Formats: sequence, structure tokens, C-alpha cells
Amino acid sequence: MTVASASRPWSCSPVAVAILMAAATGAAAAAEIDFAHEVVPLLEKHCGECHIGDARQGGFSMNTAEDLQAGGDSGLAGLVPGKADESELIRRITSTDPDERMPSDGEPLPAAEIELLAAWVAAGGSWEPGFSFESTLWEPPLALQPVTLPEPINGRDHPIDRVIDAVARAQGRELLPAASDRQFIRRVSLDLTGLLPSPEDVEAYAADTSPGKRTALVERLLGDDPDARLRYAEHWLTFWNDLLRNDYTGTGFITGGRKQITSWLHQALVDNTPYDAFVRELVAPSEASRGFIDGIVWRGTVNSSQTVPIQFAQNVGQTFLGINLKCASCHDSFVDRWTLQQTYDLAAVMAAEPLELHRCEKPTGVMASPGWMFSDLGQVDPAAPPEERLAQLAALITHRDNGWLSRNLANRIWARLMGRGIVHPVDALRTQPWSEDLLELLAADLVEHEWDIKHLLHTICTSEAYAAVTPAFERSASSSDRFGPLPRRLTAEQFFDCLWQLTGTAPETPDGEVKRPAAEGDEPAMVRAALVKCTPLMAALGRPNRDQVVTSRPTELTTLEAIELANEQSLADQLALGGEKILAEHGPSPEPIAEWLFAAALSRPPTPEELTACRDLLSQQPTSQTVADCLWAVMMLPEFQLIR
Amino acid sequence: MRSRRDLLKSLAAATTATLALPEPRARASTAGQPIEHPKPTADAIILLWMAGGMAAPDNLDPKRYQPFEKGLAVADVISTFPAIPTAVDGVEICQGLEEIASVLDRGTLLRSHVQPDLGSILHSRHQYHWHTGYVPPQTVACPHIGAWMSRVLGPRNPVMPAFINIGQRLEGIGENEEIKAFTTGGFFGSECGPMNLPYPDQAAAAVRPPKGMQPDRFASRYDRFKQLLKASPHGEYTSDFHQESMLRSLDNAHRLLSAKEREAFDISREPQEVREQYDTGRFGRGCLLARRLVEQGARFVEVTTEYVPFLHWDTHERGHETVARMHAEIDRPIATLIRDLEARGLLDRTLVVIASEFSRDMITEGQPGSTATDQAKSPKDFLQEPSHYGQHRHFTGGSTVALFGGGVKRGFVYGKTADERPCMAIENPVSVTDLHATLFTAMGISPRTVYDIESRPFYATEDGEGKAVEAIFA
Repeated sequence: MTVASASRPWSCSPVAVAILMAAATGAAAAAEIDFAHEVVPLLEKHCGECHIGDARQGGFSMNTAEDLQAGGDSGLAGLVPGKADESELIRRITSTDPDERMPSDGEPLPAAEIELLAAWVAAGGSWEPGFSFESTLWEPPLALQPVTLPEPINGRDHPIDRVIDAVARAQGRELLPAASDRQFIRRVSLDLTGLLPSPEDVEAYAADTSPGKRTALVERLLGDDPDARLRYAEHWLTFWNDLLRNDYTGTGFITGGRKQITSWLHQALVDNTPYDAFVRELVAPSEASRGFIDGIVWRGTVNSSQTVPIQFAQNVGQTFLGINLKCASCHDSFVDRWTLQQTYDLAAVMAAEPLELHRCEKPTGVMASPGWMFSDLGQVDPAAPPEERLAQLAALITHRDNGWLSRNLANRIWARLMGRGIVHPVDALRTQPWSEDLLELLAADLVEHEWDIKHLLHTICTSEAYAAVTPAFERSASSSDRFGPLPRRLTAEQFFDCLWQLTGTAPETPDGEVKRPAAEGDEPAMVRAALVKCTPLMAALGRPNRDQVVTSRPTELTTLEAIELANEQSLADQLALGGEKILAEHGPSPEPIAEWLFAAALSRPPTPEELTACRDLLSQQPTSQTVADCLWAVMMLPEFQLIR
Repeated sequence: MRSRRDLLKSLAAATTATLALPEPRARASTAGQPIEHPKPTADAIILLWMAGGMAAPDNLDPKRYQPFEKGLAVADVISTFPAIPTAVDGVEICQGLEEIASVLDRGTLLRSHVQPDLGSILHSRHQYHWHTGYVPPQTVACPHIGAWMSRVLGPRNPVMPAFINIGQRLEGIGENEEIKAFTTGGFFGSECGPMNLPYPDQAAAAVRPPKGMQPDRFASRYDRFKQLLKASPHGEYTSDFHQESMLRSLDNAHRLLSAKEREAFDISREPQEVREQYDTGRFGRGCLLARRLVEQGARFVEVTTEYVPFLHWDTHERGHETVARMHAEIDRPIATLIRDLEARGLLDRTLVVIASEFSRDMITEGQPGSTATDQAKSPKDFLQEPSHYGQHRHFTGGSTVALFGGGVKRGFVYGKTADERPCMAIENPVSVTDLHATLFTAMGISPRTVYDIESRPFYATEDGEGKAVEAIFA
């Protein structure tokens, strides 16, 4: 992560460095000086314009401890640890000579601030290791930038491939070959619908020789018929439930301090509501969608960074814009440019009452003015009533020139499909992307096609990059080392959906209140894991408690989870039922059972060696128990639990 | 005694485990000061959690006793149990805790633990605060202190889960979602989260094959899984870290499920007289299970009397009667646990802590001056019936924590509450943050230990500011 060098100490009252003020000022008072909260803001405020970031007047920069100590063109040391009177910094801010005194234009520093800086220097001028004022944050123009597509290589003319192949070529890398048909259909089915492809679909796809079959498959999975819409919606519901902090049980419901948006969300996904309208309905909500901005009303005293309006600011920032306002809910962010004022102004858009800024829990006397941070696109009318302000904010956020909205979703979806964001981690959208062009391209694809999320999915899934093989991946590899998809673990919901597909043990009714129309005469579609309350086993497999916005799932199987997979009773019971069903449908001899299991679970036939191993598991006269054990063994294969 | 080979093996496993841990990453320093971990005085903690608010004046900090009389002024009652002597000269606790009194010379009573009242006294919020060190809500999912121990120290025995939570059901009780919110590895992920064993006598099932599966079938299923894996053309992915960690976890799981350590989960293997000695109910059996688990290398074990709204220590009415029943439930197993650990030579390196989210009082809700709503129905003026007799209000101004073994002083009392109402901590008040700092310090973890989560530092004790109560260490 490139922001590491700019990381700053954070906390509301971090470990302070105790020093003797007396050493610097002669006053006999002891005090504590806190670099992050006391020194950094002073240097920023009084010296920043000329000596921080790119500014280096008189050859003097304060970006790092080394810069500050070295001093500028005069050759005099800027800061001598422990010696305020030998430090140019202190000499210049205390000088009475108008030609020497700093800041050179403007008032001298107040005595108390001078005292504090002198005391800090006298105490050694301690500096947070690694801290630098120099920002490495990515700051592209607000609006999306046009992308000039490089020439296609080897005839790969999909826009994504034109961008990625050019990067790969520039780095002297081979282009990745395509994954096998069977691997591709399994991957794309799990990614777009969360379900395993049926053995029949796999065979038909493998046998298909038409050149456009990959695109045709993607289009079928994203199709407009009711079944396809439902399958898509009930898979992506997991992604959005996490991102919008929606759940069927959880903290807050006990006192009515929290509302679901399930019915609204489910319908919006079934309808593939354009993303701009989707966001507008969440930010300026109807009764059915207001659970998102209303957050969680916690009982008792709540610290000022978790009031409902501040939750609103944090969640809107994180979910829709990929910006982190959590730090800036207590004080100006140390890791980004967001200020406390900006967070409170955004919060004030939804607040019914005037909001006073609280800095680290202390009232500041400064009032927030409803508004948002990208005023180039326009501003909220602070005098308007809250509902109107929310509508104005919703319109501003979804303005087509607000590149953060489209970039953020494009990046989250890319990360979901490819295993890693173009900007990574996905919540730090102001980190340099490994390819700006790729991010701009995808964001533009979304905006230019009426914010159609399925269109964006179509674009990604029809690229050669998405269809590439996934070789072994080392943890230490960085995202730009790999231009194809990375192996991804099934989410808890996907694991259960697959289990229920294989065993027929899905619950009969959903817990979420949703409309699930079935065509006349058709069996109702299988109830999906995303529609039911979290079970202990689902929680063990990483389905989160959604008290906060969740943007990633655990990537690795832990030992405690593995214990559950080995012996959890409800799983064992479902496997047992599955054993009976599979035996009845595909028995009695072992080979067809093994072949069906492989086709259904792994989308491929077993190798002769695997068939032998399965025969050992199943025995010559398979029983429901041996079939259940074979099913378990197949489901425990990394090949099953990872999407490749 | 562990052999050198075992030790090397466990170190190797710990290293692999540490390398395999996902984000967040630990920082080596904070505010320019390197983080130096103290020398541990304990290797394991058993937290005996008195869920629901254990009233200090009726338990470990007796005050003036007044038996029930109809028409008695509530203001005249502080303790509803008389005081009894203990193994420590001049130190008394309440009648009903005779067994604990007899082992008090093995530990320290910290009689000045205080909590914030959070504007509204809620068991789930205070328990969240006590277990994570942070007042809810927070912008990130906070780890339980057991998860911190698990993350920073790793398992003591690579086969054993580091953090085990005994006695708390997470489903089918009131406020279960609120309980789940702190019974978690939080941002450290589920690798550091608790293994939950709500029923001690069924704990063995947690590490046994599922019902209906004989051990040999279970073992052969795994062996054949490995054969199948070997036959897989996906062998080309052996260096893939996703695949590697998945297989390692499956292996660890099956190792525990077939290791002799598994027997630690089975309290039925104890001699009958030992079981009887502990068995006053679920809590007592939990204490026995905790001893067995720590003996086999668990790092942090919590045993709770269980939080269920209005039950057990959550005495909104019939307080006196309920507390008498709770005494009977906890007294013998706690004392037995201390003696048992001592007899096995484990007490020196095992810190046993008795704590609760706050104390209780007959009149004061929160602390004097609190704006918290009084949730009790019993009168504050005159007692009319026995059900009014008891500590029905939540008191955050002073409670008692007992600590045994693990490097703390023996027969020592630290801090003091006022003898008259309000019985506030009047000497050396110890906050949740400082109490946690004390536990972390005993385990060799700096209270300033810090991890970066979402680009910001998150400390083992709030803002890294916890100060251990050094005075209680021997």
C-alpha cells in the first residue's frame, strides 16, 4: 500500500511523550506533548504552505524528520533534538527581526504554541517513525478521464485486454492463456449467480464449438428471464447486504433502532435498477430503503463518532465513494485529506438538528454546515430542510462527473471477480491504482451504459483477462504481478448454496421478506443462503455480523472453521441426507456416483486416479454413508472451495 | 515437562501460524516509542465471568449487614449477607462464600474496580466494554481480549485452540446478537476468535466426530480425502497460499480431533469425586473443563455463569434469594479450581480472574449524579416484602475483582470502597482499561500493543493508555 509512508499516528489521545516544559521555557510546569495531535497540526498550519509537501522554500522542507533536522539553504540545522536554542525552527519563530521571523507573512505564532514547539524540540523532537507530511495519495480529477486504448496485441481487442495487455507487454510479461471451458463455466456461474453449473450445462458448453460461446454464456447468466434475474439477485444480495450493512437479525433490532432494507434491495437487484437511481434511493430514501441511512440507533451514551448522522457520513463515504471518514470523525484525518469539518458537514445533511463539531469527544463550538466535499459539482443548500438536502446530496453523488462513485463500484466489482482491487485495499480508493486507465475504463463503462451494473459485469466477464488461467498465487505477490483472476474462496453463502444444490437440503422458506415469483407450474427456486438468517456454521465460515459496513470476507480457512467442517452436526446431517439422495439418483454402483459428484461439484470428470480414490471412499456397494463421506471429501478439496 | 523437541515443534508451528495470519499487521512502535513487551508472569488466563452484575456488598466486599424486616428503610441496608472471616487476617467476604474465603490467601482482592455508566446501564454494552476494552459502538469490529491474547501470543500448544469460551449460549437467549458482537475475534478474524462451548458436559462432542459417525469411519474419511487430494490434477497449486492454508487448517483440525489433547474436552474422564467436587451446575462443570483445557495448553479460557437477561446475577428482583443461589453455584467450584491448579503446580503460571461488568446497589443506579434510567421495580424507601430485599440496581462506582495465581500477590487487598452508601471506590480506582492493562501485562503483552486496522492504529488497551496495577504483582 503506497500510503504507508504517509501513515500518521492515530488515536484520540495517543501515548503521549512526557517531557518537562521547564527544560524549554523555564516554567516549572510538567506537561505532555503529543506529536500527532499537537505538533503536526501546528507545523501544518503555520509552516505548511512553504515547507510541506512539494513546497520547499529556501530549500527547507519539513516532510520528514530528516528533512526538518537538515534545515535549508542556510546550512543551519532546522532541528537539533533536545536543543531548542540551536534549532533554526525555534530561532526563526521566536525572532524579533521581521526579515527572519517565520511565518514570513502573517502574524507570529501565539506564545503558547511557540512554547509547545520549543518544549517538543527540547524533549528530543520525537517523530512518529515513518511519518511523512508528503502525501502519496492518488488525486485524480473528479470527473472520469478519457482513456486512449492501446493497440490490441495478438488480436485481443476487448478494451480491458487492450489496456492490460499493454501493461503486461511493457513489463515484459507473457499474456496469460485462457482457462479451460469447464473451469470457465464454473468460475463465471459462481461469480454471477453464486451457483454451480449443472453437469448438463457444463457438457453442453464444453461441446459447443461456436466462437461466441463465452459471451453467450455470460449473457445467459445475466439474462432477463425471471429465473436468471432471481439467481443473479440472490447471489449479489450477499455483496450488497455486506456493503449496506443489511441483515435479518443483529444488534439494534431489539429496540427497533435498526431497519431492514431487504425487500427493497432484493427487488432493486431483480430489476437491475441503474446504479445512480439505486444510490439515490438509498441516500434520499423511501420508507423501504431508509434502513441504510438511519444506521443503528445504539442505546445509552454513544461516542460522537457513532451518532446516527456520523454513521451516515462514514457509511456514505465508505460504501459509495470509497473514502474513509472514520478517522475524520474524531479529528482531521491523518491518513487522508478529509477534515473533521467535512465529515460533520456531510453528517449534517441528514441531521434534523444543528450539529456541533466534536473533536475527540470534546465540543468545539463550531457548527457544521450541511454540505459535501466535492463542491465543484455543486453544493447542498444548507437552509433547505433535511429531506430536501438529502435529495440534493443524492443528485450530487450520482452526478455523472462524480468519478468517485463509478470508480468505487467498478473497483469493488473488479475485486470481487478478480480477487484483488485495481486499487487495493478496496476501501482506500485514494491509493494509486495499478492501472489508472483500467479503472477509468471500467468506471466509464458503468456510467456510459446508464449505470447498468450487469453491463459492467458483462464487460469484465467477456474479457480475456477474466477468462485467463489462475496459476498458483503467492501471498507476497502484488496485484500488478498478476493480470488474471486470483483464486477466491467461496463465501459462506456460496458454500451453503453449493451444498444445497448438491444435497437438496435448502431451507423451505426465506427469512428475508422478499418477493420470489415463480412461473406457473414451476417449482419455486431454491431458497438461497443470502435469504436466511446467519447460522453458527455460516458465521464460522465468515458470514459477518453486519454492525458495520463490511467490504471483504476472510480469504483463508481457519482451524476453528475446519473443525466445524469436520464435525458440525447440522452439516453432517445435511451430508447424510445428500448421501441418501445421491445414492438413490445415481447408484447403486460407485462409478456413476463419483462421476456425477465430480461433474456437479467440480464441473469436470474425475481422472482415473481420482476414480480409484472415490471407489475406495464409496466401496463396491456404496451406502448412503459412504456417499456422504465421498461428498464431504470432494467438498473439502481446495478445488471445490476456491473459485479458480 | 515438555521436551526440547516438542518446544521446537511448537515454535515452528507458531511461526507458520504467525506468517499465515492475515491483516491487520502489528506495529513495532507507537508515538516514536518502541513497544516493549513485559516479562510474563502468567502463561494462561481463566476468566470466571459473573455475567449480569455481581453485587460487591453481597459478595466480595461486605458492608454493614442488615437482615430483612418488613418496613425497614432501604437506606439502612447495604449488605444483605453477613461478613465471614477468610484465610487472610482481617479480610472478610460474604457469608455463602466460605470456600472462596478459605483460598483467599492464594490471591488478591482488587476492591476498587470502576466502570463508566454509559448513560444507560445495559448489560450487553457493559459486557462489550469489559470484554473488548472499547465502549460500543465502534467503527470496526473490536476483538475480545481473549482474541488479543490469541493473536499476540498464539497458542501455547499448537494442537489446542488458544481462546475458548465456556458456558455462554449464543442462540435462543435474550440479547444474543449483542453478546455475539463481543464474543468474536473482531478484526483479527475467526482464527483468533473463540471456540464456543456452551455446555461443558457436551464439550467433548465439539472435538469428536459428528453423531452417528464412528471414530474409525471419521479417520478413514480423512485418510481417503487425502488420497483423493493426492490424485487431484490440482497438485500444481501446492504453492498457492490459499490452498496451502486451507489444507493446513484441515490438518490442524483433524490433528486436534484425533490427538490425545482432545480428551481435555471430556470432563467425564475425571474421577467421580473430582467431578462431584466441581459440579454445582453448568458453571461448576465449566470450571473443571477450564482446568483440563489449560492443563493441555489453552491460552485464554472464559467460564461464564452465563448472561441471560433477568437471570443469574442479573437480579432485578428477589435479589437476596438469587444471590444466595449464585453463591451455592460458584463457591465450591471456584475454590476447587484454585486448589486443583495449585496441587497440579499450575497456579503459579495461570491467572484466575473473577470479574463482572459492574456491581449492584439497593438504591443507586449507575453512580450518584447519573442520568441512567432506573430499571428496577423495587421500592427505594421501605421494604415491604422479601422480594424487595436485594441489590436490584446497577452500580458502576465500585466493584471487586479477585485475582489468583499468575504472579499476583497472595493474601493481598488493593483499593477500597466507602463503607457507607454510595459505596464508591475511594482508594486507587481501577478502570476497565487499567484492569485490562494488568491482565495483558501479566501475560507479557504491552498495553500499548498496536495493530493497524483501516489505516489507523488500534491498541490492546484504549488509545494505548492502560496502566497495569503494578502493586498487585508479587
